[in-house]
Amino acid sequence: MRLSRWLLIGLALAAAALAGIAFGTLRLSPPDVWHAALGQGDPMHVTIVRSLRLPRVLLAALVGAGLGAAGAALQGATRNALAEPYLLGVSGGAAVGAVLAVALHAPPALIPLAGFAGALAAVALTLLVARAGGGHGDARTVLMAGVVVGSFANAAIMVALSNADPSVVRGALWWMMGSVADASWPQVRVLSLFVAVGIAILIALARAIDVLALGEDTAAGLGVDVARVSLGVYVAGALLAAGTVAAAGLVGFVGLLVPHLVRLAGARTHRGLIAGAAIVGATLVVLADVIARVALPPSELPLGAVTALVGVPFFLARLRRLA
Amino acid sequence: MIAFRDVAVRYPRREVLALDGVSLEATRGRITAVVGPNGSGKSTLVRALVGRVPLARGGIAVDGADAGAGSRRELATRVAVVTQREESPFPIGVHDYVALGRHPHLGVWRAPSAVDRAAVARAIAVTEIEALTDRPVTELSGGEWQRVRLARAVAQGGDALVLDEPTTFLDVGHEMAVFELLSRLAREGQAVLLVSHQLNLVARFADHLVLLHRGTVAAHGSPAEVMLGPVLERVYDWPLVVTRDPAVGAPSLVPLRSRSRG
Amino acid sequence: MLRASQALALAGALALAAGCDAPHSRAAARGALTDDLGDTLQPSAAPRRIVSLNPTTTEMLFAIGAGSRVVGRTTYDVLPAAARTVPDLGPGIRPNVEAVLAARPDLVILYASNDNRPAARTLRAAGVPTVAYRVDRIADFVRVTRALGALTGDTAAARRDVDSVQAALARVRAATAALPHPTVFWPLFDAPLLAIGGGSFLDELITIAGGRNVYGDLPQPSPAITFEDLIRRDPDVIIASAASRQRYLADPKWRALRAVRESRLVSVDSLLATGPTDRIGASADALARLLHPELAK
Repeated sequence: MRLSRWLLIGLALAAAALAGIAFGTLRLSPPDVWHAALGQGDPMHVTIVRSLRLPRVLLAALVGAGLGAAGAALQGATRNALAEPYLLGVSGGAAVGAVLAVALHAPPALIPLAGFAGALAAVALTLLVARAGGGHGDARTVLMAGVVVGSFANAAIMVALSNADPSVVRGALWWMMGSVADASWPQVRVLSLFVAVGIAILIALARAIDVLALGEDTAAGLGVDVARVSLGVYVAGALLAAGTVAAAGLVGFVGLLVPHLVRLAGARTHRGLIAGAAIVGATLVVLADVIARVALPPSELPLGAVTALVGVPFFLARLRRLA
Repeated sequence: MIAFRDVAVRYPRREVLALDGVSLEATRGRITAVVGPNGSGKSTLVRALVGRVPLARGGIAVDGADAGAGSRRELATRVAVVTQREESPFPIGVHDYVALGRHPHLGVWRAPSAVDRAAVARAIAVTEIEALTDRPVTELSGGEWQRVRLARAVAQGGDALVLDEPTTFLDVGHEMAVFELLSRLAREGQAVLLVSHQLNLVARFADHLVLLHRGTVAAHGSPAEVMLGPVLERVYDWPLVVTRDPAVGAPSLVPLRSRSRG
Repeated sequence: MLRASQALALAGALALAAGCDAPHSRAAARGALTDDLGDTLQPSAAPRRIVSLNPTTTEMLFAIGAGSRVVGRTTYDVLPAAARTVPDLGPGIRPNVEAVLAARPDLVILYASNDNRPAARTLRAAGVPTVAYRVDRIADFVRVTRALGALTGDTAAARRDVDSVQAALARVRAATAALPHPTVFWPLFDAPLLAIGGGSFLDELITIAGGRNVYGDLPQPSPAITFEDLIRRDPDVIIASAASRQRYLADPKWRALRAVRESRLVSVDSLLATGPTDRIGASADALARLLHPELAK
């Protein structure tokens, strides 16, 4: 990707982050925002900017970066332009974990952990089902196994919710709609570690993914250990997705859409794609969070809904290009 | 250079062996061609070489060492393979695609060096695809794609080139150009192992022919030794004669109309 | 039957008394209040800017005379009518913390649910005294009214409010004690079919008004039930809004119930559904008259 494009997407992210800090339910003038960010002026403004908006923007950026990068890597490794991080059963498994935790009235701190554990369990199950179905690491088998595990998880959630009392249903539904409203600095710290490690692994595998994208036979002929690289991508992608889900619930569409946007911007090899998808993904989710906060004040829209709504026009533009 | 010794392969959940005791050798400086009817196991040989199917019996050695031992990446620096079918779901540029041929030499962290860039440039020149380098591979015609894939294998370097049906979509001119390129590479010292349907072209260019039939070697030797009417008729299950083409002096296969229709 | 209903009334009164006094006196002894999420608050000077994100507590604040000090409510806090002039700060579940902070409150009252723990934490971290309450049963009404009185300094008004409600309830209980108690079914929702169960204050109202909730044996406030089970329980009376009455009378499925065939459908549009406030005294009275037409004579 040309340097000018990198600068462009970098600037877009910076602009989105600024918007995230400057906009919200409370109207603050730019000088107010500036002073509050520095810790000066009205303490209420400082609290809002530094303790509420800033962690939200950072968490949203991390979620978007993780999902975008994972989506780009998974699309390459499965040679499928419709692959996305939730396809390996991550979203279904995380939802089952979280819903169970809510239904069992677990303390709120445990719910993200339960979601995380559920996501990883579902991915492990997907890979096992794929292995049992035959074909060592064949991408199509893995994708189908992911769909199967996901459907099973959805069924389990429906059963759990059908007999639950309204507060459990409400809590579960809210979690499934995605939100960074409860962002805190400890959360940001933990997620940044996950995202950094996950993206580093994916970028290290990027060249191998380029080759893997050509087909498993060709990749073998170029010396790529197809099973090992695929597994590496699935595990790193699953960790990224599970981490973001634990932090913010289900934020759909980002992992699917962002790699396409980055390709439109000119990225061709997976090293640029994954890095670019991280930046563009972060921008998208930060923007979506701003919209979620200012669209219908004083209510907040669910983040997952906004990412889908914002993503649709982009996707349509892409489809028109293809036609 | 590449030696198959009594190789047997069984695909999962199949009764019949796809390959049942095939031995052949592709040596440096020669074009070795594997021919045979559909389903005779030709592509399975290539898959076995790159480790995509497990061997039920026998072994494959590259320069004396077992192909399965040692790293696949190291093997890929010495043996370049072009499979029968390949499709890129993403619009990677032709130049970047050819450069992927250098992947076995680069590994994870090394950046491409002058040697790598030179290999890519040479491959593009030798396969005559300069006009295509800026196009995305998803916009190439069947023939253009095939030549680009060949360029990638040439860029890979190494001592052996293994190709599965490299001329399927090529017109007569491009087809000849590919075979002449392969001849030249063989003369320069490479071991070229070729799987092809094009019996007549193979008869003109190959130094050594291996005829497969239902997973076993039905005949092997020089084109003149292998291209015998009765043998080929039996293997291909179709009436045909083998003549000697006066223009080029190589054995030429002529299929006849089927007997039942007269 | 007389003895049973008297015992029930006595037991109810005792339960109310026992339930509401104990935690209050313990807390009063320490000077600190413990809210329904288990957090404690040391009440300081009387707050002058209260944000109440809970329809029941908003209504209560107005009832004890603190209404003029309420500067923020949820979208659903519409009672009493005066509350509508208070700025709407958004949802009560997962509140908009920024909007709350922007109102510069010195006391925030949240709805006590696990969903709201993060918001409570953030508000306290920002230095805003925050409590969370849930008012599900009549005992909660008494407890929380007194707690709010302690928080806002309107303890006398709170006590008067509680006393008048308790007196009204006692009157209704006494008036219906000697009368036959019909079995009552009170549907909350048609699809899925939800009934008022034993966990709801409306169940308590039914009992005080001299009825017997056919689903009083279920502990949840609004359990999902099956129609077959409803037919088996065969209630004497069904409490329904005017619109639902028409629907039930016309629906062959509902006509399988004796109460519908005998047209013993009682309309209670005036009764609230969100939580027990000081209007339950009047509500109990109205319900008693509906269940016992003989009281009108």
